[in-house]
Amino acid sequence: MSFRKIDVDAYDEDVLHESELYEPDPRDSAQVLSDTKQQQAAVRNSLNKGDITGALNIALDSPPYGLGVEEAKNLALQTVVSVLNSTKATDIPNVLRSLAQNEQDTLMKYIYKGMGMPGWGDVSGSVLLGWHEKLTEVAGTGCIVRVMTDRRIV
Amino acid sequence: MSNVLRPYLSAVRSTLTAALTLESFSSQVVERHNKPEVEARGSKEVLLNPLTISRNENERVLIEPSVNSIRMSIKIKQADEIERILCHKFTRFMMQRAESFVVLRRKPVPGYDISFLITNVHSETMLKHKVVDFIIQFMEEVDREISEMKLSLNARARTVAESYLTAFTS
Amino acid sequence: MSVPEVYSIAQTPVTCHAFNANRSQVALSLNDNKAYIYVNQGEGWAVTETLAEHDKAITSIDWAPASNRIVTASQDRNAYVWSQSPDPLTGALVWKPTLVLLRINRAATFVRWSPNEDKFAVASGARAIAICSFDPENNWWVAKQLKKPIRSTVLSVDWHPNNVLLAAGSADMKARVFSAYIKDVDKRPTPTVWGEKLPFNTICGEYASPAGGWVHAVGFSPSGDVLAFASHDSSINIVYPGGPTIYNIRISTLPYVTLTWTTEGSIVAAGHDCQPMVFSGSEAGWALVGTLDDTTSGGTKFTAKTGTVGRLNSTAFNTFRNADTRGHAGGGDVVGDTELLTVHQNTITSVRPYEVGRDGAVKRVSTSGVDGKLVIWDVAAVSVGGVAGRLGAMRI
Repeated sequence: MSFRKIDVDAYDEDVLHESELYEPDPRDSAQVLSDTKQQQAAVRNSLNKGDITGALNIALDSPPYGLGVEEAKNLALQTVVSVLNSTKATDIPNVLRSLAQNEQDTLMKYIYKGMGMPGWGDVSGSVLLGWHEKLTEVAGTGCIVRVMTDRRIV
Repeated sequence: MSNVLRPYLSAVRSTLTAALTLESFSSQVVERHNKPEVEARGSKEVLLNPLTISRNENERVLIEPSVNSIRMSIKIKQADEIERILCHKFTRFMMQRAESFVVLRRKPVPGYDISFLITNVHSETMLKHKVVDFIIQFMEEVDREISEMKLSLNARARTVAESYLTAFTS
Repeated sequence: MSVPEVYSIAQTPVTCHAFNANRSQVALSLNDNKAYIYVNQGEGWAVTETLAEHDKAITSIDWAPASNRIVTASQDRNAYVWSQSPDPLTGALVWKPTLVLLRINRAATFVRWSPNEDKFAVASGARAIAICSFDPENNWWVAKQLKKPIRSTVLSVDWHPNNVLLAAGSADMKARVFSAYIKDVDKRPTPTVWGEKLPFNTICGEYASPAGGWVHAVGFSPSGDVLAFASHDSSINIVYPGGPTIYNIRISTLPYVTLTWTTEGSIVAAGHDCQPMVFSGSEAGWALVGTLDDTTSGGTKFTAKTGTVGRLNSTAFNTFRNADTRGHAGGGDVVGDTELLTVHQNTITSVRPYEVGRDGAVKRVSTSGVDGKLVIWDVAAVSVGGVAGRLGAMRI
């Protein structure tokens, strides 16, 4: 009876696939990984100098997305979370205000990704929730809507 | 405790508000049908990215938005065996009466304790921000409800044990 | 500053609305399978006629101003063209439906007359747009379909002023410009910025918003040289086809579902955040100007609340208690109020031009909402200060 469970709609010639919903990353996966590693090093550098905004700018630039770059994605999340963890709560609103809209949207994606895997690495729920609240105050609900609609999942 | 709870609930509130942007959408798979796309899963392009909000491993909320419906699932805090039993009984009681709660789903999504299904019909007939309020209030009270039940259960157990043991003291 | 005219039509959502040429009558769909014609009776609106032929909810209505015909589209896969003719018994004018052969097998979602009123376009869930023209031999409307390369439900369409080009927004996250040239109806079109030779189903452009999202609304500017579309990622995009230059304005509130151009340099958009917003700009750039819904001038919505006797119920106390227990970030006494601060209490479903001035600029626009209200707004009454105040007051 297994034929009853076949999803016949998947064989429709004009069915829309998940991968057609966004433009693929032009870089190949090895390139993405090395870019992300470089970013991580640069972010550490900025953090050592105490430049939170600069570190976030680097960390949120051209995030890895799409299929086959899991390693780079995890690395990028670690990088962003390391910045978030080392920011004082009182500095958060100012840091957020200095980000461009694009960066705010990307940061929101990482916050949700981090909350999606609690207990993973040094991801802490309360830090992320604090950032989420401040970011929603600055960028509004529109920012959350864009995390939902954007298929370039980080 | 509520000071820790606040950012969690406000994150749920803002995410829910952002997800409750629903409209009537007729199925593109089945003729003349109009069903919640988040349940039917017939066409991928009308589903949005699911979002998780978590306080810790044991307390999280999953919000799955789509064009005409959203599904929201809550994992309630269960610290020990008694809380697990109470939580199971409590959610089962509610879900058996799901039609009186309108937005409650009869079965939770795997990995969660209780799920809500809100469709465009709900957001048309009810005020959107009140639906959000209802769910936030539910989340807030379910924890309290369960810890109160646990306290009264413990109190009752103590009374039973005391009156049972008085037989041996004399 | 003029106050908007607000009419509460029904308790049910108003899915769409269309006024007749002199704005004395309006056709509405109240989220069911009938279309209602309301007549302005000075003080308010009253139903005079009911157009019942569909058997599923009506999704869209358009009223051709010059030829006085109504077209309705519904989720039952049909569209009807209604025209007034004398009843053979009484001699009174009644609305009579004419069948349209759409040949689509899913819901019809959106319908618009072409500027010359000799064609109309029906968007559908069958991943197609039906371009309908009248066939006098058989006394019905026949359709030709635009199919490629649409991959999902078409959510909205808009005609170019030259009667040939058609913009369509669909759930596959793309806004497209097609040629809807029909040999027997149209004269050969003059070249436009969108293309020169335009046989049927030519794709003149395909655009998407950077963060994706279904394209809820599309609109050509009055000259037809610029295209605007609103998508579900809370942004509106303005396309100048020459470059192509695309301006993407991301907003901080919920997405828009409908928009209309008022002049060559300004757009009114509305949607899930319940208030019409004005955008303006030119080829050099676009920006959000403000809202038409200035709550501070309304003045009626803030009613003093009386506290319960014997309970600590001051505003400040409530604010802190709510912030503490429920995560209410925003302002004062929000618990217990069931009214939003905006005129519309729920999503705005459609915004359309209401009054056009002598210079071709739209002076007033009308909106209908899920809250059953029909509102007419003065486009000039943009309040800039209202936006900041509102964003503060909006509870997120």
